[in-house]
Amino acid sequence: MKFDSDIVIGLEIHISLDTKTKLFCSCPNPKGEEEPNSVTCEVCLGHPGSKPIANKKAIEYITKLASSLKCEIADEVIFSRKTYFYPDLSKNYQITQYETPVGSRGKLILNSGKPIFITRVHLEEDPAALVHPKSISDSPFVLIDYNRSGVPLIEIVTEPVITSPDEARTFMKQLITLLGYLDIFDINTGVIKADANISIRKSGYVRSEIKNINGFKEIERALTYEIERQKNEIKEGRELTCDTRGWDANKGRTFLLRTKETEEDYGYIIDPDLVPISLSEFKKNIDTPELPYEKALRFIKEYSIKEEDAHILCAEKSLGEMYDKVAKKIHPLLAAKWMRRELVRVMNLSDKTFDDLKINENHIIELLKLVYERKITDATAQELLEKLMENPFSPKDYVSKYGLEAVSDLSELNVLCRESIDENPKAVEDYRFGEEKSFNYIVGQVMKKTNGKADPSVVTQILKEMLD
Amino acid sequence: MEDVNKVLEETKKINDEYNYLNTIIEKPIQRKKEGKLSNYYITFKDAICVKGVHSRAGSSILEGYYPLFNATVVEKCLDEGAILLGKTTQDTFGFGSFNINTNLNIPKHPLDKSRVTGGSSGGSCGFTKKVKFKHISLGESTGGSMANPSSLCGVFSLTPTYGLVSRYGLMDYANSMDKIGPIANSMKEIAIMLEVISGNDEKDSTSLNSNKNNICRDYSKQIGVSLKGMRVGILKESFNDSIDEGIKNSMKKCIDILKSVDVECEEISLPFSLKYGIPTYYIIATSEASTNLARYCGIRYGAYLPLEGNFNEYFSKVRSTNFHPEAKRRIILGTFVRMATQRDAYYLKAAKIRTKIIEEYKEIFKKYDVILSPAMPIVAPKFDEVDKLTPLQSYMMDIFTVSPNLAGVPHLTVPFWESNNLPVGLMFIADHLKENNLIRIGSYLEGMDKN
Amino acid sequence: MEVNEDFVKHIAKVARLELSEEEVKSFVPQLKEILEMFSVIDECDVENVQPSFQPISGEGKLREDIVGECLLQEDVLSLTPHKKDSYFKGPRII
Repeated sequence: MKFDSDIVIGLEIHISLDTKTKLFCSCPNPKGEEEPNSVTCEVCLGHPGSKPIANKKAIEYITKLASSLKCEIADEVIFSRKTYFYPDLSKNYQITQYETPVGSRGKLILNSGKPIFITRVHLEEDPAALVHPKSISDSPFVLIDYNRSGVPLIEIVTEPVITSPDEARTFMKQLITLLGYLDIFDINTGVIKADANISIRKSGYVRSEIKNINGFKEIERALTYEIERQKNEIKEGRELTCDTRGWDANKGRTFLLRTKETEEDYGYIIDPDLVPISLSEFKKNIDTPELPYEKALRFIKEYSIKEEDAHILCAEKSLGEMYDKVAKKIHPLLAAKWMRRELVRVMNLSDKTFDDLKINENHIIELLKLVYERKITDATAQELLEKLMENPFSPKDYVSKYGLEAVSDLSELNVLCRESIDENPKAVEDYRFGEEKSFNYIVGQVMKKTNGKADPSVVTQILKEMLD
Repeated sequence: MEDVNKVLEETKKINDEYNYLNTIIEKPIQRKKEGKLSNYYITFKDAICVKGVHSRAGSSILEGYYPLFNATVVEKCLDEGAILLGKTTQDTFGFGSFNINTNLNIPKHPLDKSRVTGGSSGGSCGFTKKVKFKHISLGESTGGSMANPSSLCGVFSLTPTYGLVSRYGLMDYANSMDKIGPIANSMKEIAIMLEVISGNDEKDSTSLNSNKNNICRDYSKQIGVSLKGMRVGILKESFNDSIDEGIKNSMKKCIDILKSVDVECEEISLPFSLKYGIPTYYIIATSEASTNLARYCGIRYGAYLPLEGNFNEYFSKVRSTNFHPEAKRRIILGTFVRMATQRDAYYLKAAKIRTKIIEEYKEIFKKYDVILSPAMPIVAPKFDEVDKLTPLQSYMMDIFTVSPNLAGVPHLTVPFWESNNLPVGLMFIADHLKENNLIRIGSYLEGMDKN
Repeated sequence: MEVNEDFVKHIAKVARLELSEEEVKSFVPQLKEILEMFSVIDECDVENVQPSFQPISGEGKLREDIVGECLLQEDVLSLTPHKKDSYFKGPRII
């Protein structure tokens, strides 16, 4: 394969699906707090005689995802056995898809417009969880919990078209956004891990693989480290080898797991226990919502908002949906400004997700109407927004009840400004000599007189007219 | 109704002499008294999981494995009044044609203890032949493991269409070829048991859905139905030089009897299946088996050792200590034929040949209702004769049975006549889901060899 | 590819089988014979034939995403002595 960028990155991402049951048995999909080995059956434990039956929901989910990634979708779901020996594999083979992935040749378009091509999207089962009593190298034995054994995973493999750690991070973030839109992944209990293949021009594109990186921030860190490491090796005159490496997030470095020569031969066969399932009904009934990239484009077009704002508003499905409703009643630019910045800030501050919110778009519409009509100051609006995180209430009623109306009567403001100028002659003189700080002081005095209920930008305007 | 203590006594006496059972259920299990199998004692090939009963598939690597669930066929038997009596001995995981490939009990021929029972369902067939109380056994066939020992021991066995009987709870040999079926002394018992165990199982993806396939399972009603108009294809290779003379005579007598009741008998040939059946079978079976046996490694259940060394060392030790040499050979073969560099030439090619074998049978069944051939080319050999065979020579004994098993078509073994005082079994093969033809013809021929 | 002791040892290793020297020696001729028998299929022309991984076409089954019963933790752990604090014990990975 011909490369022409300095850095070449390909990703292999594993996502655990938010189904109620496991992929091949009806054990519940564990949340992580269960007692070890309490969410198992003969199928996921690999007891002899047990047989797998595929989860219909998992197939729906992967069809949805493959379609959203614009993949070609196979006619049938066909499973394969990937045989290798490891203490976390209950059958010493993993049921996965080899020659026959559900989705192939798709793409995810980054916000920058660059398409990241997707080689394949397929279903497979998760192994069990290993616990090392001490550290990996010291324990005489491992402890195994089969609760996770059999959890449904989707594997997504990209073409090696990513050209920087930052781009990799962006890709992962956008992928997670997409998963949220499709409602197939639980951001709180779901697991998302990536293996990254990376090579640099300087080495002639000798590829190393970093396994099991958790999350989009770590992806950027791991790749950045690895690029530096590779560059260093070249600088010191050493040749690179095709390594398989691990990522130590604590120490911030990659480490050698094994060289490619000792790679396993997985001896794939079609799983003879699982008769192929036709995907024709699934393909007909794909129910995908408007996708993040599509929604952003529409916002830009329909609401004339900035591209950056559109992408931020669409980064989370519920935020985008709420904006869509608010922007129909409130000036879209104002709505965008407030929702992309203030609303998000206030939610983070109170540690709330959209699922937690008790308010809906009507509360925001009512609040922003007051802002638009200059009935309250920005500062007041911010306070009200924070309060709305805890409890729903009518902003209009609240403002009336507690007398929070902005002082916006221009004649009144004129009087107060005139007063403040007269009361602070020194500050006025300092300002005339170039002290900006003094101007702000006078603004502050006016604000004090209004108990903070004047719009500072209006006050500034009046004062400037009076003083200049 | 038989006295359970007498049954146990007879069972133990026979077992002490002939080694037919790996496990005797000391307190035989009965869920209810009424049903089609009311008060029948049932034994199961060791690879069929019975909850709480030592189940080892004929291998010491499953020492200490007491399943936490019943195989579906076991549940069905219990729901029809059966009494569970024991687990019969077998070649390890089904790997064998003479039931000598096991580190558990090796069974002896019911009529001559110096001879083998045949395999791999040897224990089931020998025990069925020997016992006097009401008994049916459930055996299993992947490449002929019921047809073979039932013909050597002189009992009936019916290997059903693949998917007709649920495999849930059967420890796997080759998933695309394993079938559970009845072994009994009469066609009536064969038919009743087939009614009980057949049918769709939601827990087995390969189990056939009766509604969709229009499967009528009133097998008992086929007993005694006239054979008039039936067309039988006689496999011409049945009369090759290498086939035992007594078996050929048996074939001739059978054909005469059939002709006498207006059954059309014509010579047919299955050249493709006979040429490629054995390599195709062993390639596919070992490739699947080598993955099925990967799970046995000394953790979670079964045989174990002290936890020493890393996982590769530990797994290797447990497996090497407990697997029979035949299991090791088949694992090596199966691992080889699916390796990346070999899989096109072996695994995938064999799967394509399998398509053509199935087609060859389908062609024949357009014209004929059943095919007749011997089940085995020989009658029961002696232990010391079998010990001298190479593995390949043993494999070649499956010449008649591997192809119907690859094609998943049902076949019946009918004990018919003798050769040198040893039982001969003739094999009738029918098209997919045409067990009715087998029941008719088997029930007609039952006892005819005594006239 | 030659069927010799190295061949047997290599594949045995892949399959996690530790064969004794006698076993290796006895397996070589046995496996050689069997693989020669396998090579009969080289003569067969299957150019445009679809492979069969099942002998009869069923439709396959799917399971609704409804939670069923799990096995009891104590039953699951009862089948081996290699366990600790509700975990299974397995051999170390390094």
